[in-house]
Amino acid sequence: MIAYLQNIAVLFCINAILALTLNFIMGYAGIFSLAHAIFFGVGAYATAYIAMHASDSLLLCMAASAAISAVLSMALALPALRVRGEYFVAASLGLQVIGVTIFSEWKSITGGLGGMIGIPRPKLWGYTFNDDTAFLILALVVLGIVVGITALLVRGSFGRSLMAIRDSESAAQTYGKHVNAVKTLSVAVAAGLAGIAGSLYAFYISFINVESFVLETSILLMAMVIIGGTGTLFGPIVGAALLMSLPAALTYLPFLPPTELGAIQQIIYGLAMVLLMMFRPGGLVGGRSKEKSA
Amino acid sequence: MLFTQLFINGLQTGALYALIAAGFSLIFGMTRIFHAAHGATFTIAGYIFYECYSVLQLSWPVAALAATFAASLFGVLLDRYVYAIIQRHEGSFFTVFVASFGMAIIVQNLIGMIFGRGAVTVSTPLSKSLEVMSGLYIAPIAAVVIACALIFFIALQWLLTKTSLGIALRALGENPNLIEVYGLTPRLLSQYVFLIGSILVVPAAILTAATSGLNPAMGNHVMLISIAATIVGGVGSLRGAALAGLILGMAENLCLAVIDPQWSEAVTFVILFLFILFRPGGVYGRAVMS
Amino acid sequence: MTTTTSSQEILLEIKNVNKNFGGLQAIDDVTLDLPAGVITTLVGPNGAGKTTLFNLITGHLMPTSGTIHWLGKSLKGVEPWQVARLGIARTFQDLRLYSQMTVEENIMTVMERSSWLWQGGRKAAEQRVTEILNETQLLDKRNDRAVDLAYAERKFLSLARIMASEAKLWLLDEPASGLDPRSFERFVTLLRTYAKRGITICIIEHNLDIVIQLSDRVAFLDQGKLLAQGSSEDILKDPHLAAIYFGERA
Repeated sequence: MIAYLQNIAVLFCINAILALTLNFIMGYAGIFSLAHAIFFGVGAYATAYIAMHASDSLLLCMAASAAISAVLSMALALPALRVRGEYFVAASLGLQVIGVTIFSEWKSITGGLGGMIGIPRPKLWGYTFNDDTAFLILALVVLGIVVGITALLVRGSFGRSLMAIRDSESAAQTYGKHVNAVKTLSVAVAAGLAGIAGSLYAFYISFINVESFVLETSILLMAMVIIGGTGTLFGPIVGAALLMSLPAALTYLPFLPPTELGAIQQIIYGLAMVLLMMFRPGGLVGGRSKEKSA
Repeated sequence: MLFTQLFINGLQTGALYALIAAGFSLIFGMTRIFHAAHGATFTIAGYIFYECYSVLQLSWPVAALAATFAASLFGVLLDRYVYAIIQRHEGSFFTVFVASFGMAIIVQNLIGMIFGRGAVTVSTPLSKSLEVMSGLYIAPIAAVVIACALIFFIALQWLLTKTSLGIALRALGENPNLIEVYGLTPRLLSQYVFLIGSILVVPAAILTAATSGLNPAMGNHVMLISIAATIVGGVGSLRGAALAGLILGMAENLCLAVIDPQWSEAVTFVILFLFILFRPGGVYGRAVMS
Repeated sequence: MTTTTSSQEILLEIKNVNKNFGGLQAIDDVTLDLPAGVITTLVGPNGAGKTTLFNLITGHLMPTSGTIHWLGKSLKGVEPWQVARLGIARTFQDLRLYSQMTVEENIMTVMERSSWLWQGGRKAAEQRVTEILNETQLLDKRNDRAVDLAYAERKFLSLARIMASEAKLWLLDEPASGLDPRSFERFVTLLRTYAKRGITICIIEHNLDIVIQLSDRVAFLDQGKLLAQGSSEDILKDPHLAAIYFGERA
């Protein structure tokens, strides 16, 4: 039982980091990205490759994962942000599709469809995180750091820049905001931190393959952010917790055919998205906060 | 010969994509609603046709009618009961998109639960390929596809330029306030737009069912094509979206001469990225710098 | 006839600027100088090109021909955010406040120019914010969201943003429209205070009473052409111009 709960807890931390970072660009910058799973994946594959071929140092792998994801995201952001928001959705969708294909085909780096097996646990200052409880503590610490970084950014001048751009991009430009630079930087930060989540994931599960980084994952993350509440600090965490407990909750309902649980889950959060957008666009935490502009 | 085969396949795929893209572009261009459930409309039409024709063994005109009815109903009701409510109090791009997306997820999974997650095909006498020349296989249905697409486009062109409804619809995209002059409201016109846009996917769905088959997740691919074609063709240009759909369909098939099939979807997006990089206005569109 | 004394420095020089929108001549050979500390009003019938002129100055549009120089440097090809950092700011007719942000945040974010993740200078900024809140009488509303403010308060917030921008040139697009007399008095006083500090102000305004009260100089635009400039008396008492103004309106 303990092991089961610990497992859920670690996965929750990872998902919470992903949801928080996605919210950073969706809720605060108003940039809609369907490619978040790819940055997660890039981080995971980077750590897996380095850990298995070079070094299992926690800091090195995480730094590499973060850096590679961040740089990749800028390759997406720089062209796609020059034009309107709707185009970024399309471009991110494109990246998600191409990313999955690359993950599946680039056998030498990603192991192709078979994935990568036998990723070791990380080592920090001589200590190896073989113990699951120790890993949980690590995950919680990383989550805490990510929450801290996000809070600092959001409550500071960068967060204000993001919100200004979200509320009125033309006014933000007129008052000196280099909109493209701000947006690109926010995407890079979000992707970099998602890469760290990927790093944690690879270390923990010790086996990764493309199935964890497909469009459905990006959609699930989006659902967490939206249902929990965009533009709030804790909304995504609530969303992550809720959506992760959904599968377990559903198993308690005996009248549901077990083979269809996956589909039913998706229907539930699809429905939640529709209903929330109709009646409570700010999400569960945010409330009715999205009103027409001043 | 390979090239000719791919070319013909490309024409067939391109014709279907053109119809799909035109439907999406019509809706997006005129109502500014990013109708992410357009793929769901397609899936519904395809499966209803399958159910009526292959399972219930009804005649194909009846099945086609049923599919049309189902698709239009879905599109119109979605607009009336979901989009309208959202637009009334807030209606930002984000909110509408998410609701639309949520709808698409629901439909995909419902269909998966009812019909199973595997692929189904509708076999018709026209689907069988005939060897027209050595190494060149064409099914008669290819001709049907291309003819259908042409007919629908001509009809659409007539509707938009020669009828007062069509002219009003075009005005809706430019300046919604002008609509009152025609004694109509933007809301009512929006319903018409969704009706027409949804009907446009029906022939594409039926023909896809008869050629490559259906699966519940195909809505995603439809959306990818719709979005890519709308951007490449230029937002607001129906002609552009149709042309882009054709180009994308051709590219998807022709590229098979040089690369593996797994990468064909990626080709669509490479084209999209190139346009975003170098010509964001698309082939026919207006300039889109914010 | 411009009235510049030798002590007034010309900050913005618009020379022979044309703007053509594929056949429509929106701005036709306009030459206009804006000196320091002077309040100039742009008047003219609707569609005369006043807002277009603002857009040309701020870099949202590029002139088809002609030059615009700010402090001696050409603004050709300069992006709007760069124009802002050079010291030119504007308001919008539809305000475009940061609706979900508080009054205080609206003002603070204008002062935070850098795109980097972290900027210093917090203490000095806070002082200035409080100063501005006092001048615009929004101090008790500092934590209210912009979307929740009353109409006059929103107008003042729009002005507060431009005050925070430390710009030397203010382009105001119908800033005082719809203000009640008392708010209007406060508004005028505030503008005059800043003009005395050397800020150059250019206002688009339709209401002629406002024009008379506020302007040092008036420039009359019609169909993209600058028909006349001079003191408000000269311009507003000119029967020929009045005919155009009122004739067009009817």
